[in-house]
Amino acid sequence: MTIRTYWQIDPAAEPRRLEPSTRRANGIVTPLRGPAPNRFGYYAQIAEAAAQTAFDGLFVAHRAEADESRIVAAALAREVRRLELVAEFPASVGSAVYAAKQATTFQRGAHGRFAWAIAPDGDARSRAREGDLVPEDRLGRRLDEFLTVARGVHAERPFTFTGEHFEVENGGFEAPLNRAPFPTVFLQGESEEALDLSARHADVHLLRAGPIDRLAALAESLDTLAKRADRSVAVGLLQPVLVRETEEEARLEANRAGRALGTLVGSYDTVAARLAELAALGVTHFVLSAEPALEEAYRVGQHVLPRLRARLAQTHAAA
Amino acid sequence: MTIDFHWRLPTHGCHSSIRRGNYDRGDWSPPGPENLAPGLDRAGGDDGYRYIDHLAQIAKAAESAGFQGGLIPSFPNTDDPWVISPLLARETSTFRFMIAFQPGFGNPVHTARAAASLQRATGGRLLFNIITGGGGPAQLWWGDSFAHDDRYGRTDEWLDVFKGVWNNRGFTYRGRFYEVADGGLPPLLAAEDFPEIWFSGSSDAALRVASNHADYYLSWLEPFDQLFDKFARVKEKTAALGRRQKCAIRVDLVARRTEEEAWRDIRLGFENVSDETRQRWRGQATDSVGASRQAALRPTEATRWDDLIVAPNLWGGFSLLRGGPALGIVGSYEQCAAKLDELIQGGADGFILAGTPHLEEAYRVGEEVLPLLGRSAPALREAAE
Repeated sequence: MTIRTYWQIDPAAEPRRLEPSTRRANGIVTPLRGPAPNRFGYYAQIAEAAAQTAFDGLFVAHRAEADESRIVAAALAREVRRLELVAEFPASVGSAVYAAKQATTFQRGAHGRFAWAIAPDGDARSRAREGDLVPEDRLGRRLDEFLTVARGVHAERPFTFTGEHFEVENGGFEAPLNRAPFPTVFLQGESEEALDLSARHADVHLLRAGPIDRLAALAESLDTLAKRADRSVAVGLLQPVLVRETEEEARLEANRAGRALGTLVGSYDTVAARLAELAALGVTHFVLSAEPALEEAYRVGQHVLPRLRARLAQTHAAA
Repeated sequence: MTIDFHWRLPTHGCHSSIRRGNYDRGDWSPPGPENLAPGLDRAGGDDGYRYIDHLAQIAKAAESAGFQGGLIPSFPNTDDPWVISPLLARETSTFRFMIAFQPGFGNPVHTARAAASLQRATGGRLLFNIITGGGGPAQLWWGDSFAHDDRYGRTDEWLDVFKGVWNNRGFTYRGRFYEVADGGLPPLLAAEDFPEIWFSGSSDAALRVASNHADYYLSWLEPFDQLFDKFARVKEKTAALGRRQKCAIRVDLVARRTEEEAWRDIRLGFENVSDETRQRWRGQATDSVGASRQAALRPTEATRWDDLIVAPNLWGGFSLLRGGPALGIVGSYEQCAAKLDELIQGGADGFILAGTPHLEEAYRVGEEVLPLLGRSAPALREAAE
């Protein structure tokens, strides 16, 4: 089975890395010459690390308190020429027509490597901070309409739609914009409603890391719902990892640094084995993450991914 | 005070010559063997270049030739400025990205976050051309069903919120169109400069909003008296609010070594305009006041190219050669510079210039016309010094 591996860029993580404003001169270290590098230089270096260690793509996370994911993804697109770029953003960004139109420019300029991951909606207070007035019980409906309209204007002309949240009359893109492929759509959420929405709209449904039984049950519900909609939806996983050469070093580090919920802790071998187990369960899209993103991209890309590929090739040969 | 000169990134393809109607740079016309970006490789296959690669060349030409940056227009069948800007951010040095944007299309808080991120990606090279939209079927195409004056009310509120979350923590706002509770950009993003706003719109509703928010009030070129009168009104309105309003002009030019050469290109371009093109420009429905001020020139009805010479070195048929405003400047390098001087004396504080092909003409205008500015008006030079 083919799997795809993504490395996460979290714009809010490691806030001191390459933020010129956090760098203090101490009178001993000679200050730099030339124009100051900026934070985007760090994102570019993470991207290059993921490219050189043979990941298939980057997943740029949505963080309300940090750089906007689509801006980050576009700024990286011409630096790494092979990687898929998944940008996560909420459905509250504004017009669905405009979001779809922006996607066509990205696809045209980056040879179709762009993907959308719709971020889960925040709680009522964070939505109010964002100027998002849609009430809790209409959020699912809004996302449904957002994707219907975005795909609609991309695929059909004329396209007309009247919904609760979006309205278009005689819309739809012309050539050459409509020749660009629509972005791959990643959705998330573990409620019945979220799975049902994915069954109808998602190319990939992303689950959060957790116990294997729970993941298996969710994947099965998703599959049932998707079949009912006469579609198939790939299963993805947001998986934080903490890997070291040995089991013991990994555990030591985990106790020292603390870690995100569901982090897979272990040696290169055990983590690769666990990921292979998840792949056997049907997970095809792995969004891996660790901090600091640059150093850990090398560790995971250089040592874990080759082991994972070897295991998958063995399984394949055995079958 | 110095004058800001910007160029334009053509977002609907480009022509290798103003004499020709087909877009042979980009993929808006059926690509032939002479097409660029995409073009053909030596074996006759796709060479892998895309239109963004050509836009990168134009942006680099503009910054090399001494332009501050460039306007990146947005229409239904163009590439999008919010994506072009970050795509080109890391391979340009000084080029300022002027994003044409209709505020109704984005949530103002999320858009502020995206704008501040772009400031961080570019070292503060972002600015906006805020447009409110021409109305009519085009607006419904975008999924926007607001009426003309409501749209300006919304633009006004949108800019209040956009600026409000940038400059305040705990920002709360209750308007007719937008509400925010306890919003505000995080400190790292808020530390960026608020982007300069170039504002377009010719109706009374537009002028009111411009007085509230615009750094530059931007107009297409119109007959000079009419334009200077409009600038005077805008400046007066804003002065009443205790601020000084700068004004700017968007204009195409054909600048050649001699005036004959310039008019020869116009004549050849005019003769190549197809009936289909005339028909298309004739039929565009809009409730934009600026568009109707230009339509009074009626270039689609002209049968001879020289019927459209409205004043010395001013030609009213540019909209036949490519999308956009009708009136532009035609002449020798000296004549073009003199026209720009005249506009500066009439109240222009900034320009968005353009010429076709955008890449080569950026160098030509930057190298041949801009250095001649101020010659016909020594008073201007003294004021700048």
